Amino acid sequence: MSHRLRKRITSVFTSLVLIVSLFIVFFPYFWTLLASFKDAAAINHPLDFSFTPTLVNWQAVISAGIPRQALNSLIVGLVTVGISLAVGSLAAYAFSRFNVGGSAARFSTLLAQMLPPAVLIVPLFLMAYYTKIIGSVWAAVISHLTFILPLVTWFLIGFFDDVPRELEEAAKVDGCTNWQALFKIVLPAVRPGLGAAGLFALVLSWNDMFYALLLTSGTQRTLPVGIAGYWTFRGVEMGQMSAAIILAIVPMIFLSFFVQRFLLRGLGGGAIKG
Amino acid sequence: MVVVLFAIMIFPLAYSFIISLQDFELTRIGQQTFIGADNYIKLFHNKSYWTAMRNTIVFVLLAVSLEVVLGFCLALMLHNKATFLRGFFRSTLLTPMFITPIAVGLMFRFMLNSQLGVIPIALKSIGIEVDWFSPQLALISIAIIDVWQWTPFMLLLLLAGLESLPEEPFEAAIVDGARGWKMIRYVTLPLMRPIILAALVIRMLDAFKVYEYVYAITRGGPGESTETIQYYIYRTGFIYFRAGEAAAMSYTLIVVITILVAILFYVLRGEAQEK
Repeated sequence: MSHRLRKRITSVFTSLVLIVSLFIVFFPYFWTLLASFKDAAAINHPLDFSFTPTLVNWQAVISAGIPRQALNSLIVGLVTVGISLAVGSLAAYAFSRFNVGGSAARFSTLLAQMLPPAVLIVPLFLMAYYTKIIGSVWAAVISHLTFILPLVTWFLIGFFDDVPRELEEAAKVDGCTNWQALFKIVLPAVRPGLGAAGLFALVLSWNDMFYALLLTSGTQRTLPVGIAGYWTFRGVEMGQMSAAIILAIVPMIFLSFFVQRFLLRGLGGGAIKG
Repeated sequence: MVVVLFAIMIFPLAYSFIISLQDFELTRIGQQTFIGADNYIKLFHNKSYWTAMRNTIVFVLLAVSLEVVLGFCLALMLHNKATFLRGFFRSTLLTPMFITPIAVGLMFRFMLNSQLGVIPIALKSIGIEVDWFSPQLALISIAIIDVWQWTPFMLLLLLAGLESLPEEPFEAAIVDGARGWKMIRYVTLPLMRPIILAALVIRMLDAFKVYEYVYAITRGGPGESTETIQYYIYRTGFIYFRAGEAAAMSYTLIVVITILVAILFYVLRGEAQEK
């Protein structure tokens, strides 16, 4: 087989595999979007495409608790991200520049973000119970910090490592204090890292259901918990569930396009250079 | 700041350990008694606990091995500069890892449902009848769902690995006449070994947390066929309210996770030192 022909076959085969993969990835999105415009009767006949599209599901979802739950999710996400960036950037800076705590501290940061939520849920539940914040979005914020703060810290180490030390030293020669050098020189240099870490943290907080399910209740429930409520043993609202799912996933898919580029450098914690 | 980081982790962990030594039920908070290692001893005789552990391990091995094979193939294709619409495929194929797992679970429950799911009904029309959530298949179906959502993450890690490899070994191999499979087998794979290992451990750690798919679809059933450890801890603690036992289970899980993280840490650190 000639070299050219072989190249040609490889490229056709590659394109085919990628198109099939794209189909597999997008079919669930497409199917859920389609179902959100179907009434109950149409949903029962999945292969019949001659249904009349309807907006009833969307109207029901908008007038039910979904917008409120989305708002709750957004509040939890933004507060979590704000605290994580403020604390995480300083911690990452300390790890990167002064190697505070040595590799034991880095190791426990990594361990903290990898801990399964099942490990922490019992103590967090009781702590929320005793402090009387159980059921509110604030309990969700605290629980999300347990995995998002270590992640943001770990994420930022690599970005701080990339800032040349000479920059800071030059600033100090010009009369800046340590803090001034950090705020005026180093933080602006890691801005893309902060942005990516913040967006990724927002995605993770928005997507969490385990903690939110157990720690929030009533009108304080977050979106994933709300979605889970559409298919219970009590009853199924497939069309409405589909509409709610679309509302929950589309913003995150959109955000993902901004995060992807930075994700690798962050997740390597300074070990993998992407 | 390091103090804050530790306060948020160490305190709950220590508290959890104390709870695990108590006869603690959420229905009667304030009446707990110290019982030492009883909760741990109970676990050894608890059949459901071992079933949940076994199911989780089967699930993790099945899902993660499929993910690494598929992820590696896709990464090779997307690494090749000649690939058509490379950037487009890259960003769209990665989307599943950014959406909430409960939505993924429910979408697949909907599509695989034997009465109104599009997949079983389409299969039926060509004469194949499959009950995706039968006792034999349910755990495998859940693993397939995990593969759908998390192969993209594997792809992302491996693609970054491929991009970080030095070019000289490949150039040398071309001079020696290596092409196609030979190149992958004798050059790419050996160079990628540490990265693949790190990606495997990261995904295994994540896969141990499987919960949402089980919650969305089977709630551990039929029977105990999809009872996973995270779901079982949730059930023990928050459906049966036995917080002490749940805390003890979670501590046994920490041991497994710590070993995996230690492996990961040494792999990552070895990487950093080589550079």
